[in-house]
Amino acid sequence: MLRRFFALILIACAGFSSAIADTLRLGNPGEPETLDPHRYNLRLEETILTDLFLGLTTFDAAGQTVPGAAERWETSADGLRWTFHLRPGLKWSDGTPLTAEDFVYAFRRLLDPRTAASLAYFMYPLANAEAVNAGRLPATALGAVARDAQTLVLTLEKPYPYLPERLLYPTAFPVPSHVIEKVGDDWVKPEHWVSNGAFTLVDWQPQAAVRLKINPHFAATGLEPASVSGVDYLPIASEQNAWNRYRAGEVDAISAFPSSELDAARKEFTRDLRLSPLLSSMYLVFNTRRPPFNDVRVREAVALAIDQKVLVGPVQRAENRASTSFVPALVSEYEPQSMPGAELARDARLERARALLAAAGHDAAQPLTLTLRGFSGSETKRTLLAIAGFLDSIGVEARLQQSELKVHFADLRRGDFDVALAGWFGENNPEHYLSLWASTTGDVNYGAFADPEFDARMSAAAEEADLQRRNALLADAEAVGIANFPVVPLYSVTVRRLVNPRLDGWIDNARDVHPTRFLRLR
Amino acid sequence: MSAALTRVLLTVIAFLAIITLVFLLLRLAPGGPFDGERRLPPDIEANLRAAYHLNEPLPQQYLRYLSALARGDLGPSFRQKDFTVNELVARGLPVSLALGSGALVVALLLGLPLGLVAGMQPGTRLDRGLMALAGLGIALPAIILGPIAVLVFAVELDWLPAAGSDSAAHFVLPIVTLALPWVTAIARVLRTSTAETLSLPHIRTAYGKGLPTRRIVLSHVLPLALVPVIAFLGPATAGLLTGSVVVEQVFELPGIGRYFVQAALNRDYTLVMGVTIVYASLLLICNLLADLIVLWLDPRARARVKTRVTTPT
Repeated sequence: MLRRFFALILIACAGFSSAIADTLRLGNPGEPETLDPHRYNLRLEETILTDLFLGLTTFDAAGQTVPGAAERWETSADGLRWTFHLRPGLKWSDGTPLTAEDFVYAFRRLLDPRTAASLAYFMYPLANAEAVNAGRLPATALGAVARDAQTLVLTLEKPYPYLPERLLYPTAFPVPSHVIEKVGDDWVKPEHWVSNGAFTLVDWQPQAAVRLKINPHFAATGLEPASVSGVDYLPIASEQNAWNRYRAGEVDAISAFPSSELDAARKEFTRDLRLSPLLSSMYLVFNTRRPPFNDVRVREAVALAIDQKVLVGPVQRAENRASTSFVPALVSEYEPQSMPGAELARDARLERARALLAAAGHDAAQPLTLTLRGFSGSETKRTLLAIAGFLDSIGVEARLQQSELKVHFADLRRGDFDVALAGWFGENNPEHYLSLWASTTGDVNYGAFADPEFDARMSAAAEEADLQRRNALLADAEAVGIANFPVVPLYSVTVRRLVNPRLDGWIDNARDVHPTRFLRLR
Repeated sequence: MSAALTRVLLTVIAFLAIITLVFLLLRLAPGGPFDGERRLPPDIEANLRAAYHLNEPLPQQYLRYLSALARGDLGPSFRQKDFTVNELVARGLPVSLALGSGALVVALLLGLPLGLVAGMQPGTRLDRGLMALAGLGIALPAIILGPIAVLVFAVELDWLPAAGSDSAAHFVLPIVTLALPWVTAIARVLRTSTAETLSLPHIRTAYGKGLPTRRIVLSHVLPLALVPVIAFLGPATAGLLTGSVVVEQVFELPGIGRYFVQAALNRDYTLVMGVTIVYASLLLICNLLADLIVLWLDPRARARVKTRVTTPT
């Protein structure tokens, strides 16, 4: 009896190891909430969806934007009309031909209020998109038209030179209308699944694995097909578990591990360790609704007291990059604008900070006290403690408050904070970051910062169709904005990954995007 | 009859109270189900709230939930958008049950012999040694024992997988981790009751008659000594099933305990409610079963209930 039990275990183990021979096992930092590209919300879902679907544009192995389902496109002189020419012979994974109509259907579905797509606003650059999404106009009014089976014309509300980048997101992926019309919301179930990417969905066991296998019809696109036969995405939410499972040889790559293990990883996993800077901006935001943070002198004093280099160095020791500009240095074709005073030596900064505080009416007798908020986690705690220490050196007393991530950002949106840690990730586009300071942005302008001159410069940039000229206008806007210290820029995040050295084709990049079709097991 | 009816009524009231309490507590917690890592314009949030009926007044949402529940429908998951709560529970519950029943078997296989041997020689060095060893089981909660087990058996020795659920081997460490504190608890209960039983007059008589020890233990001591163990198994089974919340997190097993934690953090109202209802049902059923078995095994308990039921109050 006992012997039979052990034999069963052996058989199970054997089956397990033969199954992984040509199938990658990749750690994903959590469980996807959906695989419907129009209802997704998380970066960890983007990772899987990018394997499953092919948009008009797509990523190359190094995370750069390249033509995808569209082989080329033209833009009208005013930047408002974009004509995309699809590759010939595009097919869905069930063999059905894929046409420009499929993209029109997808954009209309994304913006249909009944889809309740939380990221529908990603496609608000399309003409009438916002009105369609609010139910004020019919879906047919949307600026997306199929001229013929191979040609898709997108009309924009305003010029938007970042459109090819915006089309990388799952919100711009086509969905199989022929399946959705038949089975409705059940189209996302593995048994009905049809997609157009390098892979297709085989199985999804919640909290266990999302299993993909190669899509035989992808080769017809002429793009490089996958060389592994499948990939299993395992939800590994805890960095400690990711570290343990990688060390036990159970996964080929993990998306993060505890920063406290960085030294161990340097010794034990010299060839596996991948440290790559991510397009991201971590910052402190001031609640300008609340005195004294409506006083620019107080905001500047706090900003000057913080030493970004010490923060990312001896305090965090996680290879993060100090930043004194809000737009990350990694954004291409853009000149980030440092906050005033960043160039001063530490002593000069502190002296100026004390003078500013005194001018604003705060001294030893009446010290400035504030609550410094952050999300939970020991790394965040170290960061907050260090910031409190910096503030102490100019006589500002900071009380720390950490709360669960969701509560933290919900409170920030409600404006319930003094000074808080926040972050913004993802795009290679300065507007993505700077729009957070616009007075019309709404609740993610957490501090309710409002400056008419900054707003005016953002509006001017929004009319510019040329990317270089637009970025130059945005740099002007950043300089005007940061001079008013709506935030204190802190650092850019560095991604800590462990990747099996036998995995070829892995190229570190600023978006931390690694489509599986470029990966090979040696 | 009337006592049984009262009990059923009380159970239903407790059940409704649990549902109501969880329903209200969840909605009082700060943060909503749609607060993500990206911004949500007002029009879009309105679309989402309407899709999940969150725009309705609270009493209406409550009644909507109860009437669906009466039909056995736990509703859509707010965050696992591609699954209904029924589908998630159907996938997660077998994993949790396998883990819980595996741990129960291990706890009994180790706990019963340990408790019996110690109880037969109360006060001896063997007894104290065994009980000290068992004490370790209580002193080490799963949240500490689990990671240590992973480090030793998965990372260093490489005998067993660190986490996941692909094969039977993946269940070994979680089952042992979950079972250990209950080995201790079961051993302690059996030790005490064995020692007590040994001092009863009819057992001493049996020894006096010169019956072999094995026969005395198996046919006279054990049946009596087991009664408190079985009474204890009701809450123990429930504890094993709910205790899996921590173990499932540590070993990344896709059971309902893991959904429960994720759902609570995500404010996935319907999923938290669904799992709570499953847990509550399990607890009530386990306790009821344990009560019934004790009634059947122990004539004294039967007599007590009979008196209580037949005496007019």
